[in-house]
Amino acid sequence: MSGRVIVITSGKGGVGKTTASANLGVAIAATGVSVVLVDMDIGLRNLDILMGLENRVVYNLVDVIEERCKLRQALVKDKRHPNLSLLPAAQTRDKTAVTSDQMRDLCEELKKIFDFVVIDSPAGIETGFQNAVAGADEAIVVCTPEMSSVRDADRIIGLLEARKDEIEQYRLVINRYRPNMVQANDMMSVDDVLEILSVQLLGIVPEDEEIIISTNKGEPVSGTDNTRSGLAFRNIARRIRGEDVPLMDFDAGSQSWINRLVNFFNPARV
Amino acid sequence: MQLKTEVLSFFNRFRPAAAPRDTAKDRMRSMLTYDRLELPAGRLECLEEELMAVVGRYFELDKNTTQFDLQQYDRRASLIANFPLLRSKC
Repeated sequence: MSGRVIVITSGKGGVGKTTASANLGVAIAATGVSVVLVDMDIGLRNLDILMGLENRVVYNLVDVIEERCKLRQALVKDKRHPNLSLLPAAQTRDKTAVTSDQMRDLCEELKKIFDFVVIDSPAGIETGFQNAVAGADEAIVVCTPEMSSVRDADRIIGLLEARKDEIEQYRLVINRYRPNMVQANDMMSVDDVLEILSVQLLGIVPEDEEIIISTNKGEPVSGTDNTRSGLAFRNIARRIRGEDVPLMDFDAGSQSWINRLVNFFNPARV
Repeated sequence: MQLKTEVLSFFNRFRPAAAPRDTAKDRMRSMLTYDRLELPAGRLECLEEELMAVVGRYFELDKNTTQFDLQQYDRRASLIANFPLLRSKC
């Protein structure tokens, strides 16, 4: 077996990389394939919390690389999602604890066991990022429709372009989308962001308070309830599996009369 | 006070030029053009001056209507220069 290695990255912190990783891990596993989530944010471990697995972490990625344990011993199986495992980051070390070559070897090993290897990259463009993308075949760039996030996403896209030999494809996920603010012309739209970045879109995830609740519960939204954000992540997982799933229509039905009036007077901006 | 702000922001929506969405988009476009080329601020103006000086040796220019801009298409930038000529200097 040779699985697909997908790195989730963004450049900027706080745009929802770890949330996207957890949700996509759960949603891809739900399509019937085996998935391992790899937390590459060494020193700032968080993926285990979002997955509700923090009490079951015994060994971590650095233990595997430094041969203190076998790979299988470090993998935490998610009991709620039988196809899903987590390889946690070390909390007491830092990004320099692993090298890019070691990551490439680790990904090769994981590919033999799992259909999908989903890597949660740390923020930034330095060592941690370089290690996270080292063994990846494809990348998902997460950004929010805010200027600082789009700028950092652009920088990441430039770095991924420079690795064209290894990274076969990269696609964009726009997170924390607020259709109401876009309709009021207070925020950049999906089309605005795509036009600026010239990148292929993989999906849009709406801003959703349920995400905070699900993090507190340790159950990613894509696996549990019927939230808009959960559905968005499930759609993205299906697209990753090659299905042609149409984008959610955020604009239909939610237009207030005032926006209709504005658009009536200013059709160019619809 | 709250009502006043709401009414004001209601009317502001009819002024397209001021929409934060468009401001963001314009700033983003220009910022990324400079980022991608690793072009420091002021460098383009420097080039414009030099080019104008060279062209100015051959032609009299209409300096009020010159255009000198970077445009992005598909992650690549091109330099668009438009120097309207009045007459030859030779």
